[in-house]
Amino acid sequence: MPPGKAHKASAAGRDLIGALPDALLLHILSFLPAQQAGRTCVLARRWIDLWKSATGLRIVGADGESPVRFGDVWEFVDHLLLFCGCSPLEECEFRFVELSDGDVPRMNLWIRHALMCKVRVLRLLVHRTGAAPLNPEDLRLVSQHLTRLNLGKLLFNKFLDFSRCPSLQDLWIGSSNFVHVDRISSVSKAPNDRKRFFQTPVLETIPPLLGAVVQINHACADRCSHDDYGNCCYESCKSCMQNDDSCLLLQGLSQAKNLCLIADAKTFVFRRDLKWCQTFTQLKNCVLNEHWCVPDVRALAFILEHSPVLEGLYLILFSKGPKHNVEMKGSFNPKELPCTISAQLKRVEVKCAGVDERVVEVLRFTFPRKDGLI
Amino acid sequence: MASAGSGDEKAAAAAMITLISSDNEKFEVTEATATLSQTIRHMIEDGCTDGGVPLPNVTSKILARVIEYCKKHATAAAGEEGSSSSFSDAAFLEVDRAFLEELEEFDDAFLEVDRATLFDLILAANYLDIKGLLNLTCQKVADSVKGKTPEQIREMYNIVNDLTPEEEAEIRRETQWAFE
Repeated sequence: MPPGKAHKASAAGRDLIGALPDALLLHILSFLPAQQAGRTCVLARRWIDLWKSATGLRIVGADGESPVRFGDVWEFVDHLLLFCGCSPLEECEFRFVELSDGDVPRMNLWIRHALMCKVRVLRLLVHRTGAAPLNPEDLRLVSQHLTRLNLGKLLFNKFLDFSRCPSLQDLWIGSSNFVHVDRISSVSKAPNDRKRFFQTPVLETIPPLLGAVVQINHACADRCSHDDYGNCCYESCKSCMQNDDSCLLLQGLSQAKNLCLIADAKTFVFRRDLKWCQTFTQLKNCVLNEHWCVPDVRALAFILEHSPVLEGLYLILFSKGPKHNVEMKGSFNPKELPCTISAQLKRVEVKCAGVDERVVEVLRFTFPRKDGLI
Repeated sequence: MASAGSGDEKAAAAAMITLISSDNEKFEVTEATATLSQTIRHMIEDGCTDGGVPLPNVTSKILARVIEYCKKHATAAAGEEGSSSSFSDAAFLEVDRAFLEELEEFDDAFLEVDRATLFDLILAANYLDIKGLLNLTCQKVADSVKGKTPEQIREMYNIVNDLTPEEEAEIRRETQWAFE
């Protein structure tokens, strides 16, 4: 208990933070950048060892958001991990300005340490693109506990294997470069060797997938001016894969319950995959953008026809957001639906910047009326 | 709607729960709002909410704020009923940034409270096991000490330094790498 002086003081003068139980102080410490959490050891006697058991480890800039230079912190992190030992971790976050070849082995060691501490949420973000590639051969992600993994602006080498993280529910790979990746896998099979620059890697089936967000931006080279479905027959076309029999993404996502599949309308990544005719047996909610509605609604129709338990369909058309000018909500009358579409489809939402011809065509399809009007 | 005697789940969806604060004030909330609290969720599952749920650790002033938070966030999760709870906060909704921004604005405004209230909210969120509210309030405290020296933190939160200068110097030496 604090001394009598503090005791009598008004609320403003009380040691509010000291009145919290240790578990809550640890929770608060877990939101601080690691350097600052470490410095709380001199606050008072109670705080000397507290920080070592914090459930979060954040190697980030002093403001908690910005990245740090690897060279500035590696010594600190080495010390820190040694001091903290194997105290269980809930979250672990690394944000670096860049990663050089020499940094990667140490980085891998830290990640392995975090996994050993049973970390559940792991984030690794590198802000400057062109970082050294991470070689999954050196960093095997093996964890019974990892449920969320965020990887940003990384360069990946070879294939990514998440098969040994059975609890993984939420995987986010943003702005990353898969130049050297030939597959993203959950099972280890001999790879079909496809190494092409800036093309989409093969995503193999990830069975326990709850939800997935896949966004493919305009830098993706899987595009063809001749064919919107990536099937042109021109020998000279470097994008379309003649006689290629691998489904890139949709096969791997076919067991997901919730999907958000956003792609630049000019790329053909998802549309090309449709010819493998997967059925999305678990899919309940689906967010799609205009990629699925150009040049016509065939791709959208395909998803609807191959998702037997779909409940919610969300379309974001030609609108970047965050605010969408026009928002429409509707529901299908199960009796009016063709028998090929899930009878459980309850919600349809369309968001767009404005209602132009392209949008009208999609609306005609999603909200059909007998009189032909929308 | 389900008829009487069948479809317990549907009946429960519209059910109201009475929460009773430490100063005996009663709050009627929907089950969807109440079950943001894992503590109350377990009580409902165990069927011990008849006649109200007494919350002896939470005053009416704080409980009213907690309910305000739960109402807003329960509507946020409402679209996802039936699906796993971890889905609502998953990246899926990131697409709907406008919606998330609104929720963030609400959270920011919600945190405009004096320090004593903030700490009472932390204790209530902990007791009621409302993960989102606990994270929100603890993050706020963490933000308030970000970039501050130990001396500044002590002053800010009236932490009495019970270490002798020698002890403090010793600890600083041991953890010098954290102060560089």
